[in-house]
Amino acid sequence: MKQSLRQMLECRWSARHVQRYLDADPSASLTPQEVQRLEEHLDVCARCTQVVQEHRALHHALTLTLGPTSLPDEDAVDRLRRFVAGLDEEGPPS
Amino acid sequence: MWNEQGTVGSDRSQTFAEVVEPEIEVMLRVAYSLTSRHADAEDLVQEALLRAYRALDRFDGRHPRAWLLTILRRTHLNMQRRTRPDLVDDWSVLQGHRPAFGAATTASSEQTYLDATLPTQLVRALRELDPRFRAAVLLVDVHDLSYAEAAAVLGVPVGTVMSRLSRARDRLRRRLGPDVLTQGGSS
Ligand SMILES: [Zn+2]
Repeated sequence: MKQSLRQMLECRWSARHVQRYLDADPSASLTPQEVQRLEEHLDVCARCTQVVQEHRALHHALTLTLGPTSLPDEDAVDRLRRFVAGLDEEGPPS
Repeated sequence: MWNEQGTVGSDRSQTFAEVVEPEIEVMLRVAYSLTSRHADAEDLVQEALLRAYRALDRFDGRHPRAWLLTILRRTHLNMQRRTRPDLVDDWSVLQGHRPAFGAATTASSEQTYLDATLPTQLVRALRELDPRFRAAVLLVDVHDLSYAEAAAVLGVPVGTVMSRLSRARDRLRRRLGPDVLTQGGSS
């Protein structure tokens, strides 16, 4: 009973932190202690591990499905580079 | 910081080019997801670059990408008002998308779960999302922007990006279900 309550609280805590764990974004990174706490929970909790795997699979699917269409075409990048270089000739803007 | 008053021509534009060049690709990628046609995306970036050039004096030199993406968003809003707002959607990239089967980028281990049904279901699930949630997921998961960069594009705080992202992903995950997402991929 006590054990399962603790487990439940850890699952809830993990659910709240899993996104920041997976994204590891500089503006919202977890502390090393938080990372450790989450990883220790993942070691013993199949359900939260499954959630993490689904998040990873979703990210891969999004990248693989939609990634290629969002590759910028090189000609467009070149044209924009030339545009930036050409700003010089307009002289200082008003 | 970048430009004293009265500095002319080439110094200024050289500084500008140095700041902007590395960010042109990401601007274009984001623009693709903001507009419905590639030609519009290029126009949008060009217009944003021009505005950025004019606003260079007000740039403090920090976080050039976020600065440029903020200008890109404002430019987009402005152009929308001028043209047809109904046409412009953050996810129009989805409408013409072709799943990249057999593409060189597809690793073989990933191919095993990337069953033919997944892209179709994924696109459908994305279509059903609230546009604000969809935008967050496209910017971060597909375009690989940081939270702060996505916040700059969307014009919302980082915390809002995080909560939209979380809700979007949970919905997609539930909609697709564990069988579709991790089929055959048990470990
Ligand atoms: Zn758990």
